[in-house]
Amino acid sequence: MRGIIEIKMTYSTSFIWLLLIVPAAAGLACLVLPSPKAALRTMLVGILAAAAAGCAVVATAARDGRLFAASGWLFVDGLSAFHLAVMLIVVSLSTGYAWIYFGEELRSGRLALKQARQFSGLWCGTMSAMSLVLVSNNLGIMWVGIEATTLLTAFLICVHVTRESLEAMWKYILICSVGVAFAFMGTLLAAASAQGVGIEPSEILLWTNLRSHALSLNPMLVKASFIFLLVGYGTKAGLAPMHNWLPDAHSQAPAPVSALFSGFMLSAALYCVMRFVPIAEAATGDAGWALNLLAGFGLLSIGVAASFILFQKNVKRFLAYSSMEHLGIIALGIGLGGFGTFAALFHTLNHSLGKTVSFFSAGRLGQMSGSHEMARLSGSVKRSPLWGLGLFSGILALIGAAPFALFMSEFQVLKAAMDRGSVWMTVLYLTGLAVVFIGALGHAISLAWGKPETELDPVKANGLERLLVLVPLCALLLLGLWMPGSLHALLNDAAEIVGSAVTKAPDAGRP
Amino acid sequence: MHDWIELGMIALVLADVSLLGLSLLSTCIRVVAFQGILLGLFAVAAQFRALSPRLFAIAAVSVVLKGLIYPWLLRRAVKEAGVQREIEPFIGYIPSILAGIAMLGVSIWIGGRLPLMKGQDLPLVVPAALMTMMTGLFLIVARKKALNQCLGYLVFENGIYAFGVAAVGEIPALVELGILLDAFVAVLVMGVAMYHINREFDHLDADRLSSLKG
Repeated sequence: MRGIIEIKMTYSTSFIWLLLIVPAAAGLACLVLPSPKAALRTMLVGILAAAAAGCAVVATAARDGRLFAASGWLFVDGLSAFHLAVMLIVVSLSTGYAWIYFGEELRSGRLALKQARQFSGLWCGTMSAMSLVLVSNNLGIMWVGIEATTLLTAFLICVHVTRESLEAMWKYILICSVGVAFAFMGTLLAAASAQGVGIEPSEILLWTNLRSHALSLNPMLVKASFIFLLVGYGTKAGLAPMHNWLPDAHSQAPAPVSALFSGFMLSAALYCVMRFVPIAEAATGDAGWALNLLAGFGLLSIGVAASFILFQKNVKRFLAYSSMEHLGIIALGIGLGGFGTFAALFHTLNHSLGKTVSFFSAGRLGQMSGSHEMARLSGSVKRSPLWGLGLFSGILALIGAAPFALFMSEFQVLKAAMDRGSVWMTVLYLTGLAVVFIGALGHAISLAWGKPETELDPVKANGLERLLVLVPLCALLLLGLWMPGSLHALLNDAAEIVGSAVTKAPDAGRP
Repeated sequence: MHDWIELGMIALVLADVSLLGLSLLSTCIRVVAFQGILLGLFAVAAQFRALSPRLFAIAAVSVVLKGLIYPWLLRRAVKEAGVQREIEPFIGYIPSILAGIAMLGVSIWIGGRLPLMKGQDLPLVVPAALMTMMTGLFLIVARKKALNQCLGYLVFENGIYAFGVAAVGEIPALVELGILLDAFVAVLVMGVAMYHINREFDHLDADRLSSLKG
């Protein structure tokens, strides 16, 4: 019996390794391939193969609860399995989209071999780094993964070197590197807070160890650590007031990259904060100190994003501010605790689906008319019914129109806020949502049915393009009406890890 | 050994203050490299009771990166851009040094309050690390040239490194190598970015990168 379990363990842990190694290897191969087409194709195959391995990891973790590898350094639990699932969806969709988007650029001769190699290599590397963030138990390695995503994606912003893209890239690399360095300081402080509580020095950074010893950590150092971590990873997640890089990077990057940024990279940074929430809460006596801090940042982000959304002229900048709003909602939900945690995690999935489809459509429409200015894109339904309607429904979903799933999760966050009885939080949250709703709806209607600036021929769409628009939108509709049992269980599992009370703390630090 | 560590920390703080007052880029690069070498030695000295090959290996990698490779990369960037010094920073050199003295005061105050390094008679290490971090952040904010901001980032990293050695002691080798690798790639990426910026704009003034707004 024992033998069977062990074989099963090694079998499933090898999938974790595959998830990390396959994209990295594909990325390296892309850098030397002789033609742009071959590089893009290798990228597609590598990412899809890694995604299959990732699905196996998610399925095993959802069934068995916890999965360890590399003597406890790598592990997958409910929280990471859920985020892994979101990442796999976003990455697979975006890769398919990148295939179309850059295929079009190849046809029009705007993509040289060097750029194709650079893009596909870095894209695969980014997936590897994001997986590393999600599967590492060692908080130092998790940090290495986040910093690696920053560095790998920097050149994705300026695949096409222009003045604007260079400016966006410089802001991104500097602000995020410094921000993430703050997070490293926070990680060190977390390790320092665990000095002398009886953890082996070499295993002091393991999350499972810190979690199980959370009650005996030094509360003052834990508080200092959490502030640094929240500011650091919050910078990468685009929380206000550390968000300055976000609209620039999103608007200048090619659309597939923007979709990946908004769809998952921001959530990956917030995931790191989520890891520290239960530790900080337990160490400071479950007084809601860390949660309140997170909720405050969330509300501020919603407010700042709402006021900027009204005045946007560029569709990708508008979508970037919308991402900031949604990350704010997720942070608020986590900060509210209780049912809010569940709602926030559900919102993570919904936002990723809605945002990828919106960026896909905005990117293709922009490609057709050579600009992302909303004035130039108005009346896009006539130009391309598929992408025009895709953008309109995507924005509709994002602003929380029923029956899309974002309506449900935003409503759940509202319910959590009311349950907590905090009137001013509820009011601020609703005001933010209302402002975004009105502002974004105005943009969306004129984008879809406004008077076009110049009459252009309609563009036909192929099967894969239809799939890329319909799959996320249908999923959002479906999730808004009915949640599958397995997803519900996974979300509950993940929410329990973020919000669990100390009494339920897992006792085993190691497998 | 304690005296040597304390002496090293004083040198670290002096290097910070001199960075705040220096305008010649090549000298700044040299000072940052000196800090990097100092910290590599500090990592060994801090563990002198339990020396191991692992410790020496990591210290050697860190010294080579910070003392040789970064300065080489940055000096190349200076040469390509053809800038010798920063003439008009946002905050002038004399006010910068005054700010440095204020930051030193704050670091000593915070360092005394944090419950770190108990049982070791090294009162200067944590304040010096905090001072180095603050100096790095200050350089990023107060200087205009992209190159100076990159140097500020390196100084900030140095401060965190010193803090890590002081507060945590032993970080697993794999983690430490990952961190060093990340920092190395960061410098590389910034270097390439500066190369492109200089080619497109004919200058390295980060404050003039301002077409994206709102």
